[in-house]
Amino acid sequence: MLFPYEEASWSAVDGAMFMGWGTSLPGLTTAIAMAICVVVLVIGQRSETAKAKAFDKL
Amino acid sequence: MEEQLAELAAQVAALEAASGGSVTNTMFAETFYYLTIPLMIIIHAGFLAYEMGASRLKNVLSSGVKNILAFAFMIPTFYFFGWWVYWGFPTGIPGAPGPAGISGIEYANAIALGWGDGAQYMGPNIADNASGVFFGAFALFAATTASIMSGAVIERIQTVGFIILAIVLGSFAWVVAAAWGWHADGWLVTNFGVHDYGAAGLVHAVAGFFALGVLINLGPRIGKFNADGSANHIPGHNMPLTVVGLMLIIVGFWGFLMACVIVPGEAWSWFGDKMSTIYGTPITLSALSFNILMGIAGGIIGSWLFTRDPFWMMSGALAGIISTASGLDIYFPAHAFIIAFSAGLILKPCADWLENRGIDDAVGAVTVHGTIGLYGVVMLGIWGAGYPALQGAAGEVPTVSLMGQIIGAVVFFLLGFVPGYVVSYILKMFGMLRIREGAELAGMDLVKVPAAGYPEWGGDAPVTPAHPAE
Repeated sequence: MLFPYEEASWSAVDGAMFMGWGTSLPGLTTAIAMAICVVVLVIGQRSETAKAKAFDKL
Repeated sequence: MEEQLAELAAQVAALEAASGGSVTNTMFAETFYYLTIPLMIIIHAGFLAYEMGASRLKNVLSSGVKNILAFAFMIPTFYFFGWWVYWGFPTGIPGAPGPAGISGIEYANAIALGWGDGAQYMGPNIADNASGVFFGAFALFAATTASIMSGAVIERIQTVGFIILAIVLGSFAWVVAAAWGWHADGWLVTNFGVHDYGAAGLVHAVAGFFALGVLINLGPRIGKFNADGSANHIPGHNMPLTVVGLMLIIVGFWGFLMACVIVPGEAWSWFGDKMSTIYGTPITLSALSFNILMGIAGGIIGSWLFTRDPFWMMSGALAGIISTASGLDIYFPAHAFIIAFSAGLILKPCADWLENRGIDDAVGAVTVHGTIGLYGVVMLGIWGAGYPALQGAAGEVPTVSLMGQIIGAVVFFLLGFVPGYVVSYILKMFGMLRIREGAELAGMDLVKVPAAGYPEWGGDAPVTPAHPAE
């Protein structure tokens, strides 16, 4: 239940209305999204380097 | 006396301002929806490029002709009966009026028929700024469904058979899904709290699984599968054209998702001073901007990780939008990114799974739109549970729930797959589905199009195994 207001009513909404506002979820998801970007870049760099090395002998 | 006069003058000024605001709102609403229409036509420019690029040289123009004709037939058929179906059946069959008072056969007859009294709202009318632009936006949603199916069936389908299928999908099947799950009186909304803001289920999944039903009866292209069942990769003639086409689809989707907003100033507006979703729940264009961009990015990154293939990366961008479309109004952007990333990750394995079962989906439409569409609908049930599904409060109106979203997903699947399978089966019985073998081998452009795409070029690229041993 991630509705960000105590009363699950649209008339209670007067500001941020995304899932988890007021909890740790926004910060947590931002941290995970940042980590995904970094990890994907690391994996991408490693695999591209490995594939490029295969052409060194050519 | 002077005080009273001043008070009266102030009241008159307030009334004039209110009246002027209303006119401004009406003109804003009319302009808003009008501009979504050319933006959504960009989707079709994208699908056109995408499909033609994914076709071999010998089929490139016939794929384009098919796509253009789908658009052309979708508009009038949606005018003839699609618009009427949307307003007539939100509460289901037999088309009783719903609690919001904007549904039912009687209402549809009054506003959405091209004859009788209803015709006054189906043509130029100085007192009605809303119907034409709202109809236009919906007609373009309809045309999008046909284009989704169009890519999956390239290089072996008959033109007229395809157009019949496109009409059934675009002017009937998805319209029923929209009436049931994308309307204030829709029974999926009022009974189960289904929430599908950006039509992940009722446009994408319906169209994707309609295509699957057709593909089962249509069969694979000659040369797609070997005798042992293994699949070959049939390369299109122009990957760059396909990738640019996919990017154009992304551009057009800004218009598509913008058209899902209900703005003040038209006949069906929920509020006079703020935007809402079609369910009357609040939304801002800023919410869309945050979440669409993060969805596109997440989908691309997820699909790049394992495929490195620009076709799948741009398909991942689409998957990123589609997987978050149901909740673009209420996701937090980083949350949308993560969901889109996961959709990008599972995209290619899902497409391979389908291919390994003998389904030749030439552009991955079943996976990108069907599977990921349902994934997005269910994801919202997991994360958005508890949100009031309509304007109001929990208890007065239904709330979003996982079970409700699963029910919606099942209904959207059936509304796509069943008509796609049944109508294509009937067309197959009458010999109207698949082109003759000789014509398929020779190339459909020779049969269907009195022009050549690239008259000075040579033959097609070689067919190679789809999953070569590492």
